[in-house]
Amino acid sequence: MKKILAASALALGIVAPAVAHHSPAAFDRTKEVKLVGTVKEFRWQNPHTWIEVLVPNEKGQEVLWGVELTSPTYLIRAGWKSNTIKAGDKVTVVGNPVRSGEPAAIFVSLTLADGRVLHERPARLGGTP
Amino acid sequence: MTRSTIRRVTTGACMALSLAVGPYLSAQAPAPPAVTIPTPPLSALAPANLAKPRPAPPFTMTGNWFIQGGVPGGGWLFGRTPAVLPKLTPAAQQHFDAYAKAAAEGKVYRDDIGNCWPAGLPVIMTRVWPIAMVQLPTAIYMISGFMNSLRIVYLDGRTHTDPDIVVRTFNGESIGRWEGDTLVVDTRNFIDDPHHWVDQGVPGSGDLRIVERFRMINDGKTLEADITLIDPKNWVGEWKGTRRWNRVDDIDIEEVSCLPDLNEHLQSTSSGVHVK
Repeated sequence: MKKILAASALALGIVAPAVAHHSPAAFDRTKEVKLVGTVKEFRWQNPHTWIEVLVPNEKGQEVLWGVELTSPTYLIRAGWKSNTIKAGDKVTVVGNPVRSGEPAAIFVSLTLADGRVLHERPARLGGTP
Repeated sequence: MTRSTIRRVTTGACMALSLAVGPYLSAQAPAPPAVTIPTPPLSALAPANLAKPRPAPPFTMTGNWFIQGGVPGGGWLFGRTPAVLPKLTPAAQQHFDAYAKAAAEGKVYRDDIGNCWPAGLPVIMTRVWPIAMVQLPTAIYMISGFMNSLRIVYLDGRTHTDPDIVVRTFNGESIGRWEGDTLVVDTRNFIDDPHHWVDQGVPGSGDLRIVERFRMINDGKTLEADITLIDPKNWVGEWKGTRRWNRVDDIDIEEVSCLPDLNEHLQSTSSGVHVK
């Protein structure tokens, strides 16, 4: 997947949820990015779900960010549905960015246009307490 | 020459040839020895095996279980926390040093699981996924929600398969026996494959042996195992740790496969931070 480098992301706090499929070392758990943009695609799939979000950068160019999430097994237990978001929705996604500098992150939280905030999974299933 | 004449001549020639070389052939090519075909054990699902009289087990592991993490006795990897990493052999130490260097540089070392290689034992038991277990008198079937990896623990008294015929695997061959209130599972016959890891930067060889002592605690809500790992090709002595799994009654495993096109959308498996 090729994406334009650069982003209008903001560095935030620290969160370290568990991941399931692969090593989490690709992501910098000490940083967060806040992506305010428009959903391009949301894939509801095992073992991972992912969101692509178009985020305008400081030059006004739209940058395609990839955000990976855990599986629907856990998302539905945190209140998600396959149609929670769809292409064209305005969202705010917070994630830990990939260390390579590419516009990609691992999911921390999602804020919908109506203000609802969704996380990945309950603490008893590996989420952050 | 008529057809019947040709047939008579041909038949006669064959008989003469047979009489001439027959004794020679039988003297030079004795009958080959019979092929030995082993008798496989009775299947764990055979009614005759299931019906054999056996003492009642002290507990059943039938249920869905989820690794307990973030607390003493927990941990997502078999790993170094809280257990102490054993003294590695020089060959294994090279891998671990490369892993540590990559980690210090914010890179990922040999993430084979992320690239669709099986996690294998012991890592498959500590993935952040539920494990469905079905216990019968003869075997326990464990199916991880992670890639639906299958592990079978045989309880019917069979021994480990002859090394000359066993098919070595990432989860190995598990044979269990009851000792009082404990299920002791001895797993051997692992695959000798460079993609089988015991932990990040710590490989497992074909000589890996894992002994797990399972107990049911917390009124049947928690499964606990003291685990001993032995692999003289990769570390010295026994590497011990304890892990727990909580019963989860509101979750079932689902079909999960490693999908190459999905991986292309996951920076954790496709970005430039990987050390192959």
